Amino acid sequence: MRGSDAALGAAGFAVFVLLGEAVPRLGLVDEDHFPPAGRIAGALGRELSDTAFWSALGDTLTGWALGLAIAVSAGVVAGVVISVVPWLREVTASTIEFLRPIPSVALIPLAVLLYGTELRSVLLLVVYASFWQVLIQVLYGVRDVDPVAEETARSYGLGAWARVRHVLWPSALPYVMTGVRLAAAVALILAVTAELVIGAPGLGARIAVAQTSQAVPEMYALIVVTGVLGLLINVGARAVERRALAWHQSVRGEVAV
Amino acid sequence: MLDVHGLGKVYEGSGRRTEAVRDLTFSVAAGELVCLVGPSGCGKTTLLKCVGGLLAPTAGEVRLAGRTVDGPPPGMAFVFQEYGRSLLPWMRVGQNVELPLKQKRLSRERRRALVADALESVGLADAAGAYPWQLSGGMQQRVAIARALAYEPEVLLMDEPFAAVDAQTRAELEDLVRRLWRERGITILFVTHDIDEAVYLGERVLVLSASPTVVQQQLKVDLPVERDQLHTRVDPRFAELRTRVYEQVQAAKLGR
Repeated sequence: MRGSDAALGAAGFAVFVLLGEAVPRLGLVDEDHFPPAGRIAGALGRELSDTAFWSALGDTLTGWALGLAIAVSAGVVAGVVISVVPWLREVTASTIEFLRPIPSVALIPLAVLLYGTELRSVLLLVVYASFWQVLIQVLYGVRDVDPVAEETARSYGLGAWARVRHVLWPSALPYVMTGVRLAAAVALILAVTAELVIGAPGLGARIAVAQTSQAVPEMYALIVVTGVLGLLINVGARAVERRALAWHQSVRGEVAV
Repeated sequence: MLDVHGLGKVYEGSGRRTEAVRDLTFSVAAGELVCLVGPSGCGKTTLLKCVGGLLAPTAGEVRLAGRTVDGPPPGMAFVFQEYGRSLLPWMRVGQNVELPLKQKRLSRERRRALVADALESVGLADAAGAYPWQLSGGMQQRVAIARALAYEPEVLLMDEPFAAVDAQTRAELEDLVRRLWRERGITILFVTHDIDEAVYLGERVLVLSASPTVVQQQLKVDLPVERDQLHTRVDPRFAELRTRVYEQVQAAKLGR
């Protein structure tokens, strides 16, 4: 079953690539704006042998990874503290609901004002966008702690820190993992957006340069690269999730008892 | 050993005032096995949580070995009805049993020995490496009991621990509790809604009234110390005792 699913997926992708080759060649779309798949592949090959491409990729990944790391740490710490301190939740709820929906891209002018085209501009946007993903999930996760598990821990004299470590954190972990996976995807989107719009060095800036210099196949090749990155990030995040949550119902599946 | 005096618990919230426990007074001697029965919803769990220091009573007090209980005391272990939720699914059986011991500042060897001994006692010596969810319900409750044993409590509180397992497993677990009680001389306070179970297990049965709860009656169970599922349950004295407890519980339901 899995094999045939994979075969179908591969066949679908092959048809997609073939269409990408055939449609511009048949003159159905303007070849200058929609180059055939073959030419995009050629451009991709040239990009891969260019050191400037690799340093752009490195810049994008640096912004992504740093931003994600900051957002995840801040989100987890803030989420746990807000949940553990009784009145903090009520105090912060309305502010969170107000700040969360602000699109990160609306902060681009602010980022430019503060940091110009530095990495810090990218970080500001990445962190802002992915922080909320993590925070919200942590808040939900902490709420999901089983009262029986919590009472068990209390009855055995586990202190506040031991309860956070052994009960609260593992209970919240499935949610945290979901938050990290969402944040990882959002962080990539924002990293590329920031480079594209602000011109901070990275794949986004390289896409903008390709566009202004009419290097259309290169532009598509770089877009393909960002797509592959997104795919890898998602696959990686899911693998981490499965490892960390091997005990969880969603991962362990049915157990014969 | 355990003295409950004038215990009352009133829940107040969202404009509603619920008096769960009114005025409970009883005591449990060291090494005694006492069963509490009562109609469902009579505040048995509330009572046990107050005794265990998990809930603060609104009146009266609980004293363990002369000291007032104002939080979970070190000499007390709790076995919950919901074993599946009380065991931590991210820890293996051995780790679950060991976790409370880490708070007791025991040496590693001592902890290991206690865990091995406790698992051995409940017949799960080779399950230490399994996850709780890989075990059957009865085995999971055995793990929870082993965790309580390893903690070396003076008093063991059990809140309807066998309400969620099948009849045969339940009989086995009842015998396990009797055996552990005799071997280890722990004081046990066992809450149940099952009259037969209360009479079979207890040295004394306290019948609670409907909520707001008071002690309706106390009954000494004068069955032999040596009990088994086959003979004890057909003993005429057993039938007599269960009838008396049954009558009391019925009376409690009707509020007489």
